[in-house]
Formats: sequence, structure tokens, C-alpha cells
Amino acid sequence: MEAPGGASPLSPALVGRLRQEHEKVVTTCQEKIQHWKKVESDYEVLQERLRTLPDKLSYDIMVPFGPLAFMPGKLVNTNEVTVLLGDNWFSKCSAKQAVELVEHRKKYVRKAVDDLQKVMKNFESRVEFTEDLQKMSDAAGDFVDIREEIKDDSIETKGKYRTAHKPHSKPKVSDAFEVDFLANGRDTKSVGRFQSEEELWARLEELERQEEILGELDRMPDTVETNGEDTTSSEEEKEDKRMDLNGTYRVEDCITQGNFQKEVTNSDLFVRHVNGSTYYHSDDEDDTDVGDSSVPTIFFSHTVEPKRVRINTGKNTTLKFSEKKEEAKRKRKNSNGNGHGHATPELPNIKTPADIYRVFVDVVNGEYVPRKSILKSRSRENSVCSDTSENSAAEFDDRRGVQRSISCDEATQSDNSEGILEEEEEVGQQQLPKKLPASSGTTEAFSGTVIEKEPLSPSLIPHPVIAHPVLPTILEQKSEEVLSKASEETTKRISKFKAARMQQTN
Amino acid sequence: FPSRSQKPDFSVLVPKNVPAFAQTIKEQKVVVDELSNLKKNRKVYRQQPNSNIFFLVDRTEALSQCKNTLDQLKKAHQELENSEKTKVKK
Repeated sequence: MEAPGGASPLSPALVGRLRQEHEKVVTTCQEKIQHWKKVESDYEVLQERLRTLPDKLSYDIMVPFGPLAFMPGKLVNTNEVTVLLGDNWFSKCSAKQAVELVEHRKKYVRKAVDDLQKVMKNFESRVEFTEDLQKMSDAAGDFVDIREEIKDDSIETKGKYRTAHKPHSKPKVSDAFEVDFLANGRDTKSVGRFQSEEELWARLEELERQEEILGELDRMPDTVETNGEDTTSSEEEKEDKRMDLNGTYRVEDCITQGNFQKEVTNSDLFVRHVNGSTYYHSDDEDDTDVGDSSVPTIFFSHTVEPKRVRINTGKNTTLKFSEKKEEAKRKRKNSNGNGHGHATPELPNIKTPADIYRVFVDVVNGEYVPRKSILKSRSRENSVCSDTSENSAAEFDDRRGVQRSISCDEATQSDNSEGILEEEEEVGQQQLPKKLPASSGTTEAFSGTVIEKEPLSPSLIPHPVIAHPVLPTILEQKSEEVLSKASEETTKRISKFKAARMQQTN
Repeated sequence: FPSRSQKPDFSVLVPKNVPAFAQTIKEQKVVVDELSNLKKNRKVYRQQPNSNIFFLVDRTEALSQCKNTLDQLKKAHQELENSEKTKVKK
């Protein structure tokens, strides 16, 4: 597009000149084509004459004497023609050969005509283009040049540049977050999305208060943990307990760091709600890792999260498993305080199927047995259940849960080969308390159907299944746990859970 | 006496514009009229186009040929005019 002004090289005069030249070429081509067509027609006539010339032996003709005089004569030897080859060289040939020669020359003529026509078309198109150029170059033409001057200010991008969050970076407050966890905290209904950090924090404080109250009541060991309690201390204690009991470690930290950020985020959310959101995964992870190192357990940080929710907490968008672990530890502590025996601490913790798995396996078994299949399946299932909606989770195919759990397991294993089991246990514990409130508040977590992967734990399974239909994997874990240790504790635990649920539901 | 040279315009080239058509048609009409008014003992010669040689042709044949060319020219002329009218209408 040329600027109408004239800074452009296409001034109207030059464009007009260009167009004239193109038109000249076109006209000359037309003339040449006409000439060649005339030649072709002459050749055709000659050819026709040569074809018919041999028909007769002689023709009466008028023989020209110069341009003006004629004299009658006879044309004989009608089949004998001299052909001009060029440069005044002639060859004598028959009429038929002459016809062929004429045909050959006609081909040449046609070719010339075709070439000329191509050239003519080409220049005709150029003429059209130059005409358009003239129109565009004219200020009053059909075309207008639209320009927008860009000011430096306009270049600025909207908002700030987006940068990917590092795994441990704090979540942005702005992110919308669904409060599935809140359901655990019992006030989930009101949760919705916190638009501002203030609201979120206020909500968290409320939840903490509630938790404190609950803790006094001792119903919800998980939620009971108050903000005042230091997660680190509680975690350490829990870790110690865990070490003693199961020797399992929390893999959550590793998981959170690596592959399971989402899950971690959920767990973090729980933790925050429970603890007042003071702790970050990094701290938790450090604590847990140190304490767990002794037991070779595979922990899955599988999302305890009832659902994958992005929480827009001011600092940490994503909840980390470490927090969950802390919560689980707290729960365990609470449970331990309430009822001394493994069963008692575990029972309160097991609100979500994942928690049950972790707690039972870790604590109950006490054996730091890295059951890959069990752990994977359980962890997977837990993760799946937690991720997906609670009710729907029950419905989910075991396969999906298994796959997810496997991936999680693998990641966790890779991160912490030794501490995986412990971590899982811890995570499970944490998740359990987290989920427990949810289950208490809403039976969603276990409402779904429980998928029994392992046939071994039928006796135990039914209880967990009934209690927590949502978490099939948990059931398995529970079953295993129950099988191993549990007949003793599990029954008690189950009864407690059921009772707690019943109470909650009521 | 016998010879009278006619130069029938053997231009098979069909003129492209209307005025050229009118010209050629006019010439062709003259030729036909001349040939039709010739005495029977007259000889008619046709010039070999693009050359200076005249071939003796039969008078009646020449007349018929000229009439045919005239008809063709008229037809072509008619078509050309119609096409131009349609173009103008468009």
C-alpha cells in the first residue's frame, strides 16, 4: 500500500508512465499478432493452392509483366515448385513437398503468435495492476491507507508478565480456588471461592477456630489441631510416633516437589485450614524426610485432596503434602492422646480412605513393608479418589486409580526410595484427618462405591467401604492393614469412624 | 477481348470491427454485382493472394463463390452486431 502523500515511490505521474509503457507493449504485441496471423492466413492460402495445383496439367493464367502489365499465358508443370529457402536460395520440389514445407512454416508462425499472446496477456495484467496502483495512489481513490501511530505507552502488556510458579513458590492469591477442603472443615458450604486474600484468611481463621473447637470435642482429631500447635513440632512428634509404630515416612514432600504439585496443593490447603496456613511444604518436607528416613516405606503424596482445587491462598496456591502430613501427624497425636493404642490415633485420622490406608498400613503394620502393589493401588486409589469428586471417585474404575497411583508411586519412589513407605503412611494419616472432616461434614469422600482390588481383606474391607465408599484404594489399604494388624484395631477404628460419620451425618 | 480480370477479394479474414465489416461487405456486393452482369464470353481471373499471378476461373463459379462469401460476411456481421448490442446492454 502506498501512502497517498507521495513519500512512497509511487507518484501518480510515475504510475501513469508505467501504465503507458505497459499499454504500449500490449498494443505492439497486438500488432505483431495481427501480422503473424496475416502471414499464417497467407500460408494457408498458399497451401491450399499448392494442394490443388497438381490437379490440372495446365492453368490459364495472366502472367504479370511488372506490377502493371499482364499477358495471358499457361501455367504448366503444375507439380513442380521452387521454394525459397532464404537468402535467395531456392529448392525445386513437388507441390506435395511444398505443402509440407508450408506446414512447417505455419507451425513456426503459430508458435510466434502464441508467444506474443502470452506476452500480451502478461502485460495486460500489468496494466490492470498499474491501474489499481493509480487508484490507490490517488488520495481520492477507492483505497484508503489506515494507519495507527503506536505510542510507547501502548506497547506495555496488560498486567504483569506471567511466570511459571516454581514447585515451592507460594500460590497467588488471585487464583480462584474451590473449597473442597472447606467441606472437611465443616463450613465448606460457605466456602465457594475467596475472591480476596482477606476473605480467604478470614475463612481460614474461622476454620481454625472451628477446628479448635472440634479438637476440644475430640471428634475430629484432624481438624482438632489448632493453629497454635506448631506443625513442625506436631509433625516431628507424629514422625516419631510413626517411626515407632510403622517406621513409615511421608513421601508427600517429595511428591509435592516433583510430580504431584496439584495433590500437594490440595494437601496444603487442608493443612492451612487446619493449621492456619503457617507452614509450607518445604518445611514439612524437611521435617518429614528427616524423621522418616529410618523406615523403607513408599509414601504417596497422592492427593488427599477430595478434589483438585486450586486455592488462591495469598501465599501458597497449592497445598503440599507436607502440610497434609503434618495434619495427619496432628491427627495421630490427637488420636494417640485420646486413645493410647495405635488404633485410637489412627481411627480419628482415617476420615478419608487415603488416610485410612496410610494410617493403617503404616501404624498398624508397623512393619515397614513396602508393598508395592498394595501401596501403589492404595496410594493410587487414594489419590484418584481425592482428586476426583468424592462421590464420583467411588464410581471411578480401579484402573484409573491404579494408574494414577502408580505414577505417583513411581515418582515418590524415585524421589525417596527408602522413605516412601513412611511417607505414604504419613501422607495417609494426614490425608485421613483431612478427609475425615470432609467425611464428617459430608460423606462425599466415601460416598462412592468402593472398589476392592485385593480379595484378602474382605472382612476388613466392608467396613471401610461402607464408611468411605469414595475411596476404593483406601479400602484396600484398610483391608491390608486390617488383615495385618487390624482385626484388633480395625474393628475398633471402623466402629469409631462409623460412629463419627454417623454423628457427623446426623 | 476475351479477358477481363476480376479481383475478387478472397479475404477469408473476417474483419473484427463493424466498420471493417461494412467495408468488406460493400466490396463483396460490388463483386457479386459485377460478376452477375458480365457477358458469358468474358473470362474471369482470380489473383493468387500475396502474389501477382492471376488464375483463370469459371465465371459462374466465381459468381457463386462471391455470393457465398457475401453471405458469410453478412452472417458474421450480424453476429458481431448482436454481440456488441448485448455488451452495450450489459
